[in-house]
Amino acid sequence: MSRAAIDPITLTVIWNTLMSIAEELGTTLRNTAFSEGVREGDDFATAIFDHTGRLIAQGNFSPGHLGSMPACVRHAIDYFPPENLAPGDSILLNDSFMCSGHFPDTFQVMPVFLDANLVGYVACSAHQVDMGGAAPGSQKVHGVTESFQEGLRILPVRFVRGGEIDEDILRLVLGNVRMPDKVRGDLLAQHTANLSAANRLQQLFRDHGAETLADAYEIILDRSEVAMRKALAAVPAGTYSFEDCMDDYGPDTGPINIAVDITFDGRGAVELDFSRSSDAVPAAINSYINYTRAYAIFAIKVFCDALQPQTEGNMRPITVTAREGSFFNPAFPAPSGGRAILQIRIFDAINGAIAQALPHRAMGAFSHWSNPNIGGIDDRTGRPFVMYDLSLAGYGGHQGKDGVEALSPVMNCSNIPVEVHETHNPIRVRRLQFIPDTGGAGQWRGGCGLRKDIELLNSTAVLSHLGDRHLFQPYGLFGGQPGALGESLLNPDGNAEPLHSKGMYGLKQGDVVSFRLSGAGGYGSAGERDPAAIAKDIADGYVTEEGAINDYGWEPGKD
Amino acid sequence: MIRVAFDIGGTFTDFVLHDGDSRASHFLKVPSTPHDPAEAVLDGLAKLFDLAEVEAADIANVLHATTVATNAVLERKGAATGLITTEGFRDVLIIGRQKRYETYDLYIAKPEPLVPRRHIVEVSERLDQQGGVVQALDETSLDRAIDALLASGRETVAVCLLHAYANPAHEQAIRARILERAPGLAVSLSSDVAPKFREYERSNTTAANAYIKPIVENYIGQLELALQQKGFARELFIMQSNGGLVSPGIAKDYPIRIIESGPAAGVLMGGIVGREAGREHVITFDMGGTTAKLGAVDDGTPAIMPTFEIDHIRYKKGSGLPINVPAVELLEIGAGGGSIARVEMGMIAVGPESAGADPGPICYGRGGAAPTITDANLVLGYIDPDWFNGGTMALDMDAAARGIMAAIGAPLDLELGPAAWGIHLVATMNMENALRIVSVEQGRDPRRYAMIAFGGAGPMHAARLARAVGIPEVIVPQGAGIGSAIGLLQAAPRIDVSTTRVMELNQQAGPAIADVFGELEVRTRQEIDQFDSPAPPEWSRHGYMRYVGQGFEVRVDLPDGPIDQDFADRAIEAFNGAYLQKHKFLDPEARIEAVDWTLVATLPSGQEDSAIVQQHKPDAPARNGSRPAWFPEAGGYVETRIIDRQALAEGASIAGPAIIEDPDSTTVVLPGDVARISSAGHLIIDIGKEVAA
Repeated sequence: MSRAAIDPITLTVIWNTLMSIAEELGTTLRNTAFSEGVREGDDFATAIFDHTGRLIAQGNFSPGHLGSMPACVRHAIDYFPPENLAPGDSILLNDSFMCSGHFPDTFQVMPVFLDANLVGYVACSAHQVDMGGAAPGSQKVHGVTESFQEGLRILPVRFVRGGEIDEDILRLVLGNVRMPDKVRGDLLAQHTANLSAANRLQQLFRDHGAETLADAYEIILDRSEVAMRKALAAVPAGTYSFEDCMDDYGPDTGPINIAVDITFDGRGAVELDFSRSSDAVPAAINSYINYTRAYAIFAIKVFCDALQPQTEGNMRPITVTAREGSFFNPAFPAPSGGRAILQIRIFDAINGAIAQALPHRAMGAFSHWSNPNIGGIDDRTGRPFVMYDLSLAGYGGHQGKDGVEALSPVMNCSNIPVEVHETHNPIRVRRLQFIPDTGGAGQWRGGCGLRKDIELLNSTAVLSHLGDRHLFQPYGLFGGQPGALGESLLNPDGNAEPLHSKGMYGLKQGDVVSFRLSGAGGYGSAGERDPAAIAKDIADGYVTEEGAINDYGWEPGKD
Repeated sequence: MIRVAFDIGGTFTDFVLHDGDSRASHFLKVPSTPHDPAEAVLDGLAKLFDLAEVEAADIANVLHATTVATNAVLERKGAATGLITTEGFRDVLIIGRQKRYETYDLYIAKPEPLVPRRHIVEVSERLDQQGGVVQALDETSLDRAIDALLASGRETVAVCLLHAYANPAHEQAIRARILERAPGLAVSLSSDVAPKFREYERSNTTAANAYIKPIVENYIGQLELALQQKGFARELFIMQSNGGLVSPGIAKDYPIRIIESGPAAGVLMGGIVGREAGREHVITFDMGGTTAKLGAVDDGTPAIMPTFEIDHIRYKKGSGLPINVPAVELLEIGAGGGSIARVEMGMIAVGPESAGADPGPICYGRGGAAPTITDANLVLGYIDPDWFNGGTMALDMDAAARGIMAAIGAPLDLELGPAAWGIHLVATMNMENALRIVSVEQGRDPRRYAMIAFGGAGPMHAARLARAVGIPEVIVPQGAGIGSAIGLLQAAPRIDVSTTRVMELNQQAGPAIADVFGELEVRTRQEIDQFDSPAPPEWSRHGYMRYVGQGFEVRVDLPDGPIDQDFADRAIEAFNGAYLQKHKFLDPEARIEAVDWTLVATLPSGQEDSAIVQQHKPDAPARNGSRPAWFPEAGGYVETRIIDRQALAEGASIAGPAIIEDPDSTTVVLPGDVARISSAGHLIIDIGKEVAA
């Protein structure tokens, strides 16, 4: 190795260019995509690999794909070793085990050649609107007991050959999905975005030469590994454990135990083991190991070294395991379409354990989220509609700061405006407001839960609900109180009927569904809260006077 | 005819006076007076009139750009504001769009809303997306809401009801009732300020308008009074974010439209300079002390965005407050002369942290300890330590060198020259990434564009930057240091009016489009008729469109002429052209959806000739010479020609490496490039092909 030959300035130029290529790949994809997940939720990833499939640079997009991308590219290379690849090829795959844990995420891996030599790969993923299967969106949880009900499974195929998309494969895919025009648009957008990144990567190789790039790659991987090890070594050595429960995985089912044991060795390595969690369940909510790993790595980065550029190097010191056949490492064909709901809970569990090692970094549990779909045939147009919604509420309190109100938790999504929903779907939003007194009390209060009431204007529709924390409260830390439970009600102003957090329900015109998210957990004892902060909460209505009396022992009229 | 323009910035207030008859221009810079901005204005005008030997009564037009509106928001010094919303939706403003601007940071805070929750009140009413009344406005709830706002001493009120963009009736009724009960209160309606859908963005825009209204009203009122007292007979015009002028009356009603006043004038200047150099497509690159700003002019017209953000955190997209009014397209990043360099993971990193003007770079000798871009440029020989700002300030080269060695050279085992070069290069790379977003990612082919470089540091980095993305020509205008004021001088009155009307764009869409533009024309005329213009306005129509199901719209310039039978076909054709240019592909099977519509009316500018030619030049001797400067193409430091720009004659040609100095900016000409002075007096650099390092 002639690593010393690279001067720091050339290295800076190369590394910055690699990150810029990965970022630009992502913005191109986002701007042309049809899928709400891609454009609003940044539910995609982009990356650059060396010729052996090691991750060198990645855009700052979905954490869920961060840890999945290296494994995915390795599987693609297993099916298509370099000697079988030619310039102009691109590989398509979406297998839950090989990729990011459910079928809607399609990955495209494009080998990059310069003068007939393979110099690396560019890759991107995108959450498609639909991949077929039991329900629109391919994420139905309850009643789906094996992957084969979840739609089209694509093992690695040569989707592009000699620069031409294989129309036969495209037809096969589009024949199996609900919104073929959108899926087609997004598959093409992925390919176009990869192409432009490949061009820039070729230019980088032309500018600096393959030898310099190879040396730079080794330095990039080593440095990022060293930086991560240094951050991990700063965490007190020991094993930290935490357990929490998901409510259930559908009506008439029991809780899922989420347990994690995290061992910091004090020398720069960490192992996260989810083996004590429940077994895989017969509902589409299991977390394949790539997905478990992705969010475990995300959590470690957040707590230890958030803004470091991502490479294979800084993933090396992090080991994520789970017992085979368990909820966090199921075997094919375990169903997994709705696993997105787990990202908060993987983070919450790790956060609970980390609180013992890094109390100043940990926060009370999130107020969870709800992700209902209301769909049917629009009376006005005769066309199908799907109102895909996201309700996102507060963060837990942490040392020195109340939990942020209404901010996207682990996954990073925008909500969808009320006026946009009402323009496109036969529904009317009746309310969107904080629920006072739901944030866990504490020296640093948890954020409030959020209420969203939706009325159906169409003759009929089907609601597929996806929520949690109706039974197990978001925990508080260090004496902070848990957030209030969430609930879902049908027709809250009349004969209110409770709805299950993962149930499917028929709705008729005039029905109102009230989604009420749990509050987030508090941090530190409520008795320690600054009276001025209590007074401010009352003035702003986050806490009622009655709530302040009950939760904080507040005395009316006393300053 | 004599026109005077002034741009009040945070540090300096810039003036330019242009006499159309004698074709003479005078430039002036005086320190701003933030406690009372009018003070610097009057002081500067007095000096300017002495310089030009004119009197206030001779002045035909006074044109003004200001940061007063922006600063009120940035410093949260607006008036006590209340917000009235639809029952059930009190929290729209606080919830926002909820996305983190940094995915991997869970400790971030959201921007502080302009109205605290306690001052947001609800009224019972409801409209649907077509403007139909679902629930009538309840007077009792309205009076209760007004009671609460009056009791808490609100000076200004924003009203933003759901779907009010489709029907302003309820908001108008609310305003009428407020004014009945509290005649002096300032009221801003979302249906007036920004009648487009997406309730958070509209609420925030309306709240921001309300929040700054009393301050801007007061400021403009005082300025008008002060100018009148000095004997100005004519009206004052204010620059808007869209690059057009408005009357003081409109600026007082809609102060949110003047938020990006100064930067808009800068982009306008870029367009003017480009036109003089025969360039219809330009990228403007303005690099100052803390940030660099990139804008674009396409086909001679400054690029306009329908929405922008203010109060960013670390210049991150999504971290600020969205403002739904048209503004020149600008990308701002934390790369200015004061941006700080450091070592991260064995590499050089620069910005966005800035030493600002105080303490400033190490070489200012005011206590700055961290090396900045300016320190690097000094060490590289690009800046003359004895002639910074025209010799008004001596720079400490040794201190800069020591600072760079301590922070960058020693940790990375680099000599001084390479360490300083590394800082310059990384800063340029950061700007290159931003430039790629403005050019390539927006479908602009850099090879068709010229770069207009200005601001104190812009011309030092411009050639390198242009070369990196393939821009063939850099133009450094005369008066590069007061670019915005020059842009103002040639601005024209302009009104942009927009609304949301979601419809499928198909062959049957003609009548619906005619309907939308009919309504927009009524609204536009109400404003454009306030100008006392002898000439009729020029109209242009725009739509924001996408394929059904997409989340981002493309701006489409729609055809002129009557909206007749085949207008829809021509609109579809226009969409195809715009979409293809931006995204490089078309989907003939997808349906097209139009979302927002904009009508623009522009009146002719009073300024026909260029203000920049015939700049008055001092009769000082030329300051030509040489000093060592760093060019990696030449292997490091080489003795480099230093040329006094003021002494350069039209047609003079200078091959790089060379450094061309002006009192307020320094231009670096690279080996392989050739600079010349154009007939309009601008410095034009032909960027050569890449020379291997």
